[in-house]
Amino acid sequence: MSEFLQAIAQGVLIGSTYGLLALGMGLLYGVSGVVNFSHGDFISLGMFLCLALYSALSLDPYVSVFITVPVMMVLGTLVFRFLIRPMIGHQFLMIVQLTLGLSLVLQNGILMVFGGQPARTPSVVESKLMILGEVVLRVPHVIAFGVSFALAIGLFIMLRSTDFGRSIRAVHQNAHAAALMGVDVGRVQVLTFALGIGILAIAAALLLPGTPIQPTQGLRYTIITLLVVVLGGMTNFVGIMLGGLVIGISEAFGTIYLSNTLGALMPYVIFVLIMLFRPQGLTWSSSR
Amino acid sequence: MLEIENLVAGYGGVEVLRDVSVKLSAGEIVGLLGANNAGKTTLINALSGMVAPMSGRILFEGRDVTRLTPRQRVELGIVQVPEGRLVFPEMSVRENLQLGGINARAKPNRSRQMEAVLDLFPRLKERLSQDAGTLSGGEQQMLAIGRGLMAEAKLLMLDEPSLGLSPLFVKYIFDIVDRLHAEGLTILLVEQNLMLTLRHAERCYVLERGQVAIEGPSDVIKDDPRTRSAYLGL
Repeated sequence: MSEFLQAIAQGVLIGSTYGLLALGMGLLYGVSGVVNFSHGDFISLGMFLCLALYSALSLDPYVSVFITVPVMMVLGTLVFRFLIRPMIGHQFLMIVQLTLGLSLVLQNGILMVFGGQPARTPSVVESKLMILGEVVLRVPHVIAFGVSFALAIGLFIMLRSTDFGRSIRAVHQNAHAAALMGVDVGRVQVLTFALGIGILAIAAALLLPGTPIQPTQGLRYTIITLLVVVLGGMTNFVGIMLGGLVIGISEAFGTIYLSNTLGALMPYVIFVLIMLFRPQGLTWSSSR
Repeated sequence: MLEIENLVAGYGGVEVLRDVSVKLSAGEIVGLLGANNAGKTTLINALSGMVAPMSGRILFEGRDVTRLTPRQRVELGIVQVPEGRLVFPEMSVRENLQLGGINARAKPNRSRQMEAVLDLFPRLKERLSQDAGTLSGGEQQMLAIGRGLMAEAKLLMLDEPSLGLSPLFVKYIFDIVDRLHAEGLTILLVEQNLMLTLRHAERCYVLERGQVAIEGPSDVIKDDPRTRSAYLGL
């Protein structure tokens, strides 16, 4: 029983961050129809930037994040403006190829700078534990959970009740009509991409403490993110957070109950099973 | 107020409008008539900045707006209510109206403007928190016009406002159009419904294959034998 509770708790904590990662991808898709296959490599980049800041200045990832977020957002703006935007409206597969290419560039760039050895970035809270009854939680996971949900709620409120949020939803629902109302569609797309990359930079710092990192990990994060958005529905806010929890929990069950290699398969097995029986995804309504 | 001089425009290098010149004075209500594919929607999309002109000029209140972005034009008061209404289906009526007033010039007066729009369309007041996608066609047309008014339009361009509406709603919408005109708004009315437009517009332009075929006061256009042939595309 305690193992069961442990798995649930661990899964919920990590799953919330997966949900956050997927919100970034879903937002971008919502305003521009672009599925970013270099998503995971931007997470990777965020992690290695934290590592670099630790090596150079001994900064804790939770401090570095205040530097990596603006840096990555500027980078994201440039990438979107000069690489992705010119491709919008072209064939979907061309954008897939472009972002896959970008993924390889980022991956090999990181490999060139940091080498291929797995690396770790220490943090002060890295080995701290929180004990609730029979459940033992790692403090970095608790922080990740708190920050992820706070950000998700913040995003939700932003989308519902600010003009920028309403512009994002308007561009998603009808870009032509949004432009006729005086919404600068191109600007909304750039800002949304930058926002998504900023979220990734935060998620990277949240996932980092205690996790060994290597340049080739990006694809794994891209795939986890894709699983989550497909489960939740590309633009379904609540569905995406729910999807994050499902993937997080299946991963936790896999690692606790099964062997390491078999355990890592769990999220994919669960994903395939859900898709077989509920191809419309987790939630009832198809949109919203 | 609006002068279109020798406008040539189209999509992907194909000319849809050829040498179109149109003039509107402040406070006028002018009809833009023509068969399908005559170029009516292309013309107002060129006015909105959604279609880049190949040559020619557009002057609004004496200012050359030919190269301005759609956003800049909305800020100047050139506002389009698009064909098919294009309300944001998964947003509430209130949010749709708020988006209408999102441009820099209209934004400070948004709450006052919202009251005026809701006075004009009491029906929308009852449905403020309902999703726009659940409204009837007529109600969506009210919302689309209301959204355009929220932008503090000086020139309101209505693209096929009668399309797909029941006769009762058509009458209601055109009563509103008359009322807006009486209040001094400049209106460009794009319609396929010939008699309806001739009844409500002071002057009309008839487009035929991307060119102005006939222009003049509505009662003259009505009796011109060329109107019917241009209209039927013969």
